[in-house]
Amino acid sequence: MTTQTLPYTTPQAVPYQRYVPKLAVALGAALLLAWTVFPFLWILLTSLKSSADIISVPPKFVFTPTFDNYAALVMGEQRGQYSSTRPDFPLFFLNSMIISLGAVALSVLAGIPAAYALARFTFPFKDALGFVLMSFRFVPFIAFVIPLYLLYQRFGLYNTHTGLILAYQLITLPFTIWMLRSFFQEVPIEIQEAAKIDGCSWLGVLMRVILPLSLPGIAVTVILGFMFSWNAFNYPLMLAGRQTFPVTVGAIQFISYEQVLWGQMAAATIVAAVPQLLLSLMVQKYIVRGLTMGAVK
Amino acid sequence: MTLQPRRHWRREEYLPYLLLAPALILLAGMVYPFALGLYYSFTSYWLQYPNRFRFVWFDNYLGLLEEPLFARALGFTLGFTLVAVVLQVGLGLAVALFLHARIPGRAVLRALMLLPLMMPPVITALMWKIMMASTNAGILNYILSFFGVDPVNWFGSMEGAIVSVLIIDTWGNLPFVSLILLGALQALPAEPYEAARVDGAGTVAMLRYVTLPLLSPFIVLAVMFRTMDSLRIFDVIYATTLGGPNDATTNLQIMAYQYSFQWYQMGKGMAQAIVLLLIVVMVSWLLMRLWNRAAESTS
Repeated sequence: MTTQTLPYTTPQAVPYQRYVPKLAVALGAALLLAWTVFPFLWILLTSLKSSADIISVPPKFVFTPTFDNYAALVMGEQRGQYSSTRPDFPLFFLNSMIISLGAVALSVLAGIPAAYALARFTFPFKDALGFVLMSFRFVPFIAFVIPLYLLYQRFGLYNTHTGLILAYQLITLPFTIWMLRSFFQEVPIEIQEAAKIDGCSWLGVLMRVILPLSLPGIAVTVILGFMFSWNAFNYPLMLAGRQTFPVTVGAIQFISYEQVLWGQMAAATIVAAVPQLLLSLMVQKYIVRGLTMGAVK
Repeated sequence: MTLQPRRHWRREEYLPYLLLAPALILLAGMVYPFALGLYYSFTSYWLQYPNRFRFVWFDNYLGLLEEPLFARALGFTLGFTLVAVVLQVGLGLAVALFLHARIPGRAVLRALMLLPLMMPPVITALMWKIMMASTNAGILNYILSFFGVDPVNWFGSMEGAIVSVLIIDTWGNLPFVSLILLGALQALPAEPYEAARVDGAGTVAMLRYVTLPLLSPFIVLAVMFRTMDSLRIFDVIYATTLGGPNDATTNLQIMAYQYSFQWYQMGKGMAQAIVLLLIVVMVSWLLMRLWNRAAESTS
């Protein structure tokens, strides 16, 4: 009877869990854990194996770890027996950094005023404009990349960081505007009105009220935008060359016609994943919001 | 007081457009190529034979009807999307309900589920490619051997390739559905449950008549995002099967890629891309209507 006199606190107390035997729950949790984590563990193990250990039957769980695969990655093209065909992974990593940071910086610079306009002004075609921006999230990339490839070839943007940063705006800019808009809208309108009464112009409102108050939101947007740029694969696959490949395109270079360099590919996937894993722990509360462009908070 | 001979734009009127200008200019730079591509889809643009360039009206589109690969790619695109969405939303709902019950280590599981979600899809594909090696050294076949499953030819057989792509895509995107629905579950109001309990509803009845209806807008949202992404899946297929074997995993995006970047038939490739775009637009319009209806019925 006590439960009925207390106010209902959490909706978590759904009764079905009471009937599920504990063993089944533990089994389910273990299964979910294994499904989520085992691929990472196995690739980490693979990356620490010698090439003989990788192809051993049955697969080895215990072996002498070696850092040869990582060393080969870091050495890049200069050394090693297949020196001419070996992917230059440090360069790819640097390219990913340059392109992702550049794309996010450009998107934030252009996105802040645009998000401000969409969050705090009313004007004709506002909803239509917002919808057009949202629709970029759903566009098949191939419809853009074919003409971009032809134009880039003609105007010297093919295989350049600038060209890639511009193409990445298709990914980062609509996302940045929608995310920033949703953060800007959370700033109480009363503060903005008070600032206006104190004589702030539209610029003053933006610089002194909106931006300082939504700084955490801007940080989240920057980090998520960086992660989406880091994940990008299809635009650079068509628009980049060996000098500008990011890690995503670089990692598939370990599959050649002669052989697949499994160990190095495993090491490359680990290196390509590390920034994502670290950053996703930093912004874990906002990832779903980011992936749905602010639709789910 | 001076009379104004003509209407002046006041600053409040043009300011929003001024603020939007940098973003719009950047996007216009991307929309222009698309318009150009749309034009190319009506031409016989073949990169290696520039002399054959001419305007062919709807030939590229009509030609698709006679192209056997197009029917297969269209079928795979739609079929894969249907199976992937049902599988991922179904399993995602199950995982969300499971985690919503007070499971020990829920916070840890929830944080760990973010990791597959934020991995580059192509890297996810390569990870699974290593695990799905068809030789006996492949860890997945090794694990399955304990359950009496004969070694699976993951990427070499047509069925194996389709299942592989499905598994890899599900691994990366199941957390997306689970996390949306788990977040929604945790924000559900308590009153309907109280009322149902007073009415003597059992576990199953509560799930069926309280939880699922309240959850429906979020389920539709998850379906919408997963549908849009599954229709356009490219990275995973490119890194694992490249559309093979025997075109078993060729969807419209892979087909358009092959036409334009392997055979350099830009006009035909672009026509296929536009067809895919139209499908995406139509499906998203339908799902948006469904979402509006679901959101209205619960609010």
